Amino acid sequence: MARRLVAVIVLAAGCVAAGAPGPAAAAGSAGLRSGAFDPPRPAPDFALPTTQGGEFRLSRHLGKVVALTFGYTSCPDVCPTVLAELSQLRVRLGAAAKRVQVVYVSVDPERDTASRLRAYTEQFDRTFLGLTGTPDQLTTVWKAYGVSVVRRDLPGSQPPTYLIHHSASVFLIDPTGRLRVMAPFGTPVDDVLHDVRALLKE
Amino acid sequence: MRSLLVLALLGLLGATGVVAQDAPIRLEKPWVRRAPAMPDAKPGAESNAGGYVTILNRGTAPDALVGASADVAARVELHETRNMSGMMMMEPVAKVEVAPGARVELRPGSYHLMLIGLTRALTPGQTVDLTLRFERAGALTTRATVR
Repeated sequence: MARRLVAVIVLAAGCVAAGAPGPAAAAGSAGLRSGAFDPPRPAPDFALPTTQGGEFRLSRHLGKVVALTFGYTSCPDVCPTVLAELSQLRVRLGAAAKRVQVVYVSVDPERDTASRLRAYTEQFDRTFLGLTGTPDQLTTVWKAYGVSVVRRDLPGSQPPTYLIHHSASVFLIDPTGRLRVMAPFGTPVDDVLHDVRALLKE
Repeated sequence: MRSLLVLALLGLLGATGVVAQDAPIRLEKPWVRRAPAMPDAKPGAESNAGGYVTILNRGTAPDALVGASADVAARVELHETRNMSGMMMMEPVAKVEVAPGARVELRPGSYHLMLIGLTRALTPGQTVDLTLRFERAGALTTRATVR
């Protein structure tokens, strides 16, 4: 079968985003604007190699707001838009930006080598952490956050090229390690900025 | 004096390939997303970038964007990103219709040009020549800024 799906459709009960937060929930949770988890729940911990050669472990970043998102370096439209917005957000935060860590997890282990991912994230902001790993390592993280990843081959492309359909929400994890916000693609930067500031103040 | 200025301007427009103001199809606000030089590039894994422009049809006949090319990419495809309950799906499209009087915006998360196989890194402030092919209006070139 020519059409290969690398596939992770996650509908599993218990996956974090299963009860997708809606705007209606926002009022109840510290006035967050961009899709709050209400009540907040512990962010699933994970460890992945960083593009710098070390290891990133989420639970070692307490004290900061972690903005976690998923994408791949061959993605021309959605992923760079999300990263450009997050870079804008850090600029607008000014000095408080040092308490915000952007983490970008690859959905394309086949093509996203560490050096490639690093070149990609650094063009937006040198503090962004790109994480890639083996398909197994990454699948675990995708699943934990309810991120769907589906490979789509481009018909007739030479050399053969594929795109990846994937969830492109930004998750905000508060300084105590709780998952607080899932901002869907297209959420105004102002709203995400508002929520990051709110979480930093708590 | 004024006609000289107009002539000079026309000459400039011709030289840079900017669309003449009286053409039915007008291209506005063209830009291209930045893209780094990619280490470890394998065939099929080169760097790509999104291209965006607003298309105005000021004529009386419908037209459609049917293809594109760029001076920095092996090829350019027309794509549409759709949001299926949070899952961002990108699909090639054959054409983008532009009805008479319509303004169609190619923008992030919607219709866009996918520049495939970049021949160089694109850094903010640089320019890229995009050529858009229309069913009726033919090929129109515009200079896009890298952002």
